[in-house]
Amino acid sequence: MSEMPKITIDFLSLNFATISPMIVAIIAGLLILCIDLSNKKLDKSLYIMLTVLALLIDLGFVLGFDSDTRGFFDLLLFDGVATLGQIIIIVGSIFFVLLYFNKLRFQELRYPEYFALYLFVVAGFQFMVTSDSLILIFVSLETSSMALYTMIAMHNRLTAIEAAIKYFTMGALSTAFFAFGSMVFYAQTGSVELSEISQVLTANNFSNYFITLVGACFIIAALGFKLSLFPFHLWVADVYEGSTSALAGFISVVPKIAGFIVALRFFEIFIIHDDKFIELILYVIVVLTMTIPNVIALLQNDIKRMLAYSSVSNAGFAMSAILIGTTQATESLFLYWIMFFLANLGAFSILWLKRTKDYNNGSDHTLEKYKGLIKTSPLIACLMGVFMITLAGLPPFSLFWGKLYLIGNAVNAGHIILAIIMILNSAIAAFYYLKPVVAIFLKQPDENTIQLVNMTQMIKFVAIISAIFTICAIFIVEPLLQIISFYTQISGF
Amino acid sequence: MDYILSILIFFPLFAAFIGFMVNSNSIRVYGIIVTLIEFIISIIMYVNFDVQNPNMQFTQNIPIIPSYGINYIVGIDGISLFLILMTTFMSMIALIALSEKRAIKNLIITILFLEMTMVGVFVVLDAIIFYLFWELSLIPMLYIIGAWGGNLRIYASIKFFLYTFLGSLIMLVGMLYLGYVYYQTTGNWSFNIQDWNMLILPFDLQMWLFIAFFIGFAVKVPMFPFHTWLPYAHGQAPTVGSVILAAVLLKMGTYGFVRFSLPLFPDASSFFVIPVAILSLIAIIYTAMVAYAQEDMKQVIAYSSVSHMGVIILGIFALNVEGISGAIFLMISHGIVSGGLFLLVGVIYDRRHTKLICDFGGLAKVMPKYATMFAFVMMGAIGLPLTIGFVGEFLSLLGFFRTSPVLALVAGMTIILGAVYMLVMYKKVFFGEVTNEENKKLLDLNKKELTALIPLVILIIFLGVYPKPILEPANNSVSKMVKIMHAKVLDNDTAVKLVNVNSIGVQK
Repeated sequence: MSEMPKITIDFLSLNFATISPMIVAIIAGLLILCIDLSNKKLDKSLYIMLTVLALLIDLGFVLGFDSDTRGFFDLLLFDGVATLGQIIIIVGSIFFVLLYFNKLRFQELRYPEYFALYLFVVAGFQFMVTSDSLILIFVSLETSSMALYTMIAMHNRLTAIEAAIKYFTMGALSTAFFAFGSMVFYAQTGSVELSEISQVLTANNFSNYFITLVGACFIIAALGFKLSLFPFHLWVADVYEGSTSALAGFISVVPKIAGFIVALRFFEIFIIHDDKFIELILYVIVVLTMTIPNVIALLQNDIKRMLAYSSVSNAGFAMSAILIGTTQATESLFLYWIMFFLANLGAFSILWLKRTKDYNNGSDHTLEKYKGLIKTSPLIACLMGVFMITLAGLPPFSLFWGKLYLIGNAVNAGHIILAIIMILNSAIAAFYYLKPVVAIFLKQPDENTIQLVNMTQMIKFVAIISAIFTICAIFIVEPLLQIISFYTQISGF
Repeated sequence: MDYILSILIFFPLFAAFIGFMVNSNSIRVYGIIVTLIEFIISIIMYVNFDVQNPNMQFTQNIPIIPSYGINYIVGIDGISLFLILMTTFMSMIALIALSEKRAIKNLIITILFLEMTMVGVFVVLDAIIFYLFWELSLIPMLYIIGAWGGNLRIYASIKFFLYTFLGSLIMLVGMLYLGYVYYQTTGNWSFNIQDWNMLILPFDLQMWLFIAFFIGFAVKVPMFPFHTWLPYAHGQAPTVGSVILAAVLLKMGTYGFVRFSLPLFPDASSFFVIPVAILSLIAIIYTAMVAYAQEDMKQVIAYSSVSHMGVIILGIFALNVEGISGAIFLMISHGIVSGGLFLLVGVIYDRRHTKLICDFGGLAKVMPKYATMFAFVMMGAIGLPLTIGFVGEFLSLLGFFRTSPVLALVAGMTIILGAVYMLVMYKKVFFGEVTNEENKKLLDLNKKELTALIPLVILIIFLGVYPKPILEPANNSVSKMVKIMHAKVLDNDTAVKLVNVNSIGVQK
């Protein structure tokens, strides 16, 4: 019997630097679990600040990354787009976790496991954007999604558990689609790495196109669930309504950017080759995603559900950047999402401020409960007004610059009809964003509404910071564009 | 002197912020002082303005988003000079005559914020920053109409907001496309109007862009058939809201036509003269007849606003120096006159809480000073010679006469119809016996209202007799603009037509 050959893998070739940011987040999560084991009586503020600290160290590792972009047998791809995505994910997570300094005692915040799960979610999304391999994307998607479902359910209200189960079932379906699609691509090309898949498909000149299309459709369905594109957006309203406002805000921003980056990498294969079928499918999905939830949002009476449908519509807007496919369009995707994050952070933090434990008056955030807020708490009313008109796309607030750049890129690439559809949707959206503004500023307050029991200085601080950035967005557009274009261009998009 | 335009824009904003500290019982005086200071700054600007120079003056350029060509560029010429003066003047008059009592602090701070956006629109020379101020003016107006208005105020304010928002968004697509065309032609991104004026565009591109910009401006003017938001907005708005809406906000649309559509798209403008003229004629005649049928005084004046804006558009699309200068003069005169008319209706509404004509009658016996003021301002609205209303109307119609004598003749009916509905309303309200008992106890104009109205009346007569201060700078800048249009025109026929309609300004 001959000797088995020794396996020699150079430690350095693994390139641990690519996963060191995620390791920080995971170790911090495990640390939180261990701390909880030893001492049960610690306050939630310790865990929140540990989370913030871990995320800051994580951010430091991401910004300080300077080794080779490939790592761990080419599973990881730490390029410019991955760096940018991780920065947005981490900064978003830091701001959303600060919202947990609230006054009312909720069930999930009594368990430090909540914050450990939060860190696992962030680590999972970081893996998702840093990877080129369909298998690692799958695993990280599952990790973060499972943790997220649990976090939603920990709120321990019936609507929360219902929301978690709906999200879980839909997510399981999307995972199955993703697995099936990856399998089809593996069968066709012999690899699960997106760059190699692209190479093999190009080399074969897209022969067996039908099989490729089938695989692509499955992946589009899976991504559609995660990005809440039409017709896979049906879970969004119930999940946002069931989760707490802080978590709903998190779900509206962070998982979406991770999904967008995966979609960016995936659709690159097809956009480069000017694939007509995929472009048509994407075009129809994008137009329907922008339009139909907009119309549904017109009928909502609950502000949170309205924001849920509005975030679906905004995801459609961002997806159109991937559809357009030029380098500037990719930059506009990130600019749009950062501006949207600023507005959504503010809107959901105001909703969080107004949260009560009064479960007998219909849903939590009906327009009735916001009537006349200008008389009872003028500062909060003005902040909410700012965020609502920002989301409507009015200049000079943040989302206007994102929309301007996006519509400008649509026009530059020749998609005039798409630009017109975008502005028609913006005009429709203005109506349902005006409804809370009208209720807050122009109606008389109701004596029975409970006012601002959940408010603390920290949540007000987050809302005010978000408002300042939203109003002064005109000055941050240029530096942001420089940073974004640097990162997207070094990744070759 | 370089920064005077930025000071003019941002001083009301700064004053609005620190106005939160002022106590509610003194906030009215604060508002009047701030608008007075703003008016004095604009007078200083006027004094330093070189009337003979047709180019942009007091320019300033700060890059904001250089990678997309968006810069903060401000400058004024003869076209925008008096629009700014009128804006600051009418804001001051509106605040002097303010008689609202509820939540007055919010109202005054909102008006100061609105003044910033209005001055910004007339001063800025970058298309995207122009759009920024244009849209931003919608928010304070929404709040003013929605919070201090009449019964249907929420419907009126939301209709106003959404209608104008949709029109402006279409204009935004046009602006972005034009920016892209500039980039394709020169390789640089720029949204500067002065850079865009150098572009010579092919005709079908001009046509589509003209239509896109037209929709944005036509909703704001408002032109028929996009005028349906105006009667509601005026009917439901408080007095001060109506005054500022009529005096300034409507002029933004017509200013947009002069600043953007004409110099950027000369061939398309020339091509669309007859369709636009027909829309203006319908606006002039139809809304004048509707005004005659109204029972509410404010609605009469609202519809008369639409009618006069039709004459302004006709003057602009005469495409010659008399027409465009006449249109600019008419913008200013209409601002002063309809601001005055809405103030006067506000005076009687404060006393009797009704605006219906049938509730009044014989007021001249009870309130003689009020009747006199109303007569002066009304004569200005009708366009009696030696009042401010005559000069603008006459020049606009004279300008359009060269294009089509028949259409100008039909448009001349505006003078007759204007006299009809205005004089009939005046007779029903002021002359005859005092029919209603309540009217016998009414007090005449008090000091506050007189202080607001007398400057308006003085201006109506002075500028009617001596219109040169406004016409001279306007003539110079408009001549330059018409020369630019003539130089840029592609089609030979259009060039010939432009020369033919211009008796002064363009050499053969």
